[in-house]
Amino acid sequence: MLIADEFFLITHNDSRGKAKLHPTATGLGLAGGLLGELVLQGHVTVASGLVTVVDRRPPADALAHTVLDQLVGETQQHPVRTWLSFLAQTATASVGERLVRAGVLRRQESRRLIRTTVSYLPIDLNAVAWPATRLRALLDRPEPPSVPDGTLLGLVVAAGLSREVLWSAGPRAHHRLGVLIPALPPPLRELVANTEAAVGAAVLRGAG
Amino acid sequence: MSTPTLGRPSNVSEALARGRLGVPSVIFFVLSAAAPLTVVAGVVTTGYGVVGVLGIPVAFLTVAAVLALFSIGYVAMARRMTNAGAFYAYVSRGLGRPAGVGAAWVALIAYNALQVGLYGTIGAAAEPVLGRLFGVAPAWWLVALIAWATVGVLGLLRVDLNGLVLAALLVAEMVVIVAFDLGQLTHPAGGNVSFAALSPENLVVPGAGAVLVLAILGFVGFESAVVFSEESKDPRRTVRLATYLSIAIIAGIYALSSWSMTVAVGPDRIAAEAGEQSIGLIFNLAEAHLGGTAVAVGQALFLTSVLAAMISFHNTTARYAFALGRERVLPAVFGRTSPRTGSPRAASLAQSALGLVVIVLYALNGWDPVVQLFYWVGTAGGFGVLLLIATTSVAVIAFFARSRAEETLWRRALAPGLAAVALAVIVVLAVANFADLLGVAPDSPLRWAVPAVYPVAALLGLLWALVLRDSRPDTYARIGLGAESVAATVPTTGHVGASVPAATAARR
Repeated sequence: MLIADEFFLITHNDSRGKAKLHPTATGLGLAGGLLGELVLQGHVTVASGLVTVVDRRPPADALAHTVLDQLVGETQQHPVRTWLSFLAQTATASVGERLVRAGVLRRQESRRLIRTTVSYLPIDLNAVAWPATRLRALLDRPEPPSVPDGTLLGLVVAAGLSREVLWSAGPRAHHRLGVLIPALPPPLRELVANTEAAVGAAVLRGAG
Repeated sequence: MSTPTLGRPSNVSEALARGRLGVPSVIFFVLSAAAPLTVVAGVVTTGYGVVGVLGIPVAFLTVAAVLALFSIGYVAMARRMTNAGAFYAYVSRGLGRPAGVGAAWVALIAYNALQVGLYGTIGAAAEPVLGRLFGVAPAWWLVALIAWATVGVLGLLRVDLNGLVLAALLVAEMVVIVAFDLGQLTHPAGGNVSFAALSPENLVVPGAGAVLVLAILGFVGFESAVVFSEESKDPRRTVRLATYLSIAIIAGIYALSSWSMTVAVGPDRIAAEAGEQSIGLIFNLAEAHLGGTAVAVGQALFLTSVLAAMISFHNTTARYAFALGRERVLPAVFGRTSPRTGSPRAASLAQSALGLVVIVLYALNGWDPVVQLFYWVGTAGGFGVLLLIATTSVAVIAFFARSRAEETLWRRALAPGLAAVALAVIVVLAVANFADLLGVAPDSPLRWAVPAVYPVAALLGLLWALVLRDSRPDTYARIGLGAESVAATVPTTGHVGASVPAATAARR
């Protein structure tokens, strides 16, 4: 599973599709996940706060393809923070739709008064609960997690969800989490750090 | 894929520009935190009563001029800052990190004092409203505790009052204030309008420092426009204009109201009447001039104004502690948020705990809530903010002297220099007149104890920064960066911890 997908399921681990994380942090975390997927596949890199496209060949995944096209389509380089804000605007819907296409979630529109809200309901509750369970187990294993898993864990911490995901984990898991993020490859470490900074900046602005 | 051509509009910039703020939105944000009716009905009346000096209107105009001068350099520096909303960030950039932590300690105390002080006035504000609606007159501390619980819960749920609600309240408050002022001006004491309170001589008296601090208190919040530097339509213009206009609007309305009060009561009797009627003064005047309905509306708005100010200061204080927690200058727990609401949970709870302790302390000891809590603690907070502004003005000069940023001489040196001198004079006067400010005897221990809190806190902060420099250099490097500190300290070189090649590991 792609990291933005797993992040989505961790934040929407609920039978009615309700979010466990407030919308700003959810959007930014998913945006970090989408950029992270492109970094992990070697399409883009992050250095000195800027996102650079290094491989324009189309990724296999349709959403990753769209995001890469958006990156390529800009005449000037933008900072990671700008991309995070930009992708965060649509990330919840676009990753939700990707999980619908993958057959993990189903889309439900409900109308309350005049507002139509879209929620993504789990088809199989176990499948939705799996990523969080997997992350918990991962931190208890002796060998270090893979780079994609490390990135996902980094984004979970950046969004402020670490305690909720690791509520049952022991002190060893918390300690490992602390050393894991500094050990990520520099572009991913920078991506995770910028996601955390963006979430914190949103709190300071009082934006919801 | 098309070849990008020069000058093509950027989709990203356009999508992000949609939510950008213009000058009016930023002004509304600043002014709604200023809660004008709280200042006019609460601070000004108590100020006349306690200090007994006629110079309050002139003090508002003087402070406005000084703050406008200060803002020239402040806004110029803000564009080059991360964490632009907090004075201590400017101090760390301009005067070094130890001074920055000192300023952060001072800011935490000052903003907490401003918030907690408001619990002292909520009882008096609610009394007439509750009396009219339910015919009850509960003890002040009961009302304060209810307000405290409301603020605490809203802070945790992160319900920042809706912008539209705040804007409507603000406009209503302004209308009521102007209506009251007109009522006072058309019913002058002794039959003719006296301009005595507007004479600059009123500031060359003992107690001048006291009214200047009082005036600063009225302007707290003007500094927050810079938070929107990144989100404004034109970062160079929007924030600058919004800051100046906010200062001008606040100065205009406060100077007018504090002057019209002296006209209606009589310049010679304002101190005595204000001392006796306290917060009731402008409502009693309005009762005589405009009738009962206007008073009822005014009193209801005074109550909502105090509540809105409490919530606003609670959130400001919690965010301050959150930023410091993110930097690890305060324990990291302050930098955590509640996942579901995104509120800075620990920071918010800590602020609420302090509020509870203060309310209980005042209730148990039977201390006077309006003068000893609202006025004393509030002015002590105002004095702290004055010290912060003064230090920041020096930091602005130092920053531009070192960075050689492209700014005019006026913006980077002359204006902040003049502001620094003026602010230093105000600080000296304030310290000299602190007994007048609090309305205590010149030999009262409070006269030194209250202003001494800040240098002591600043010194402790400074020492703490030096401890951090030796024991936790990464934390020391993050000082002043607030939420951005996480991204700022990513080392440029590092080792790859896991063995899976990044390019092939995206799909599992």
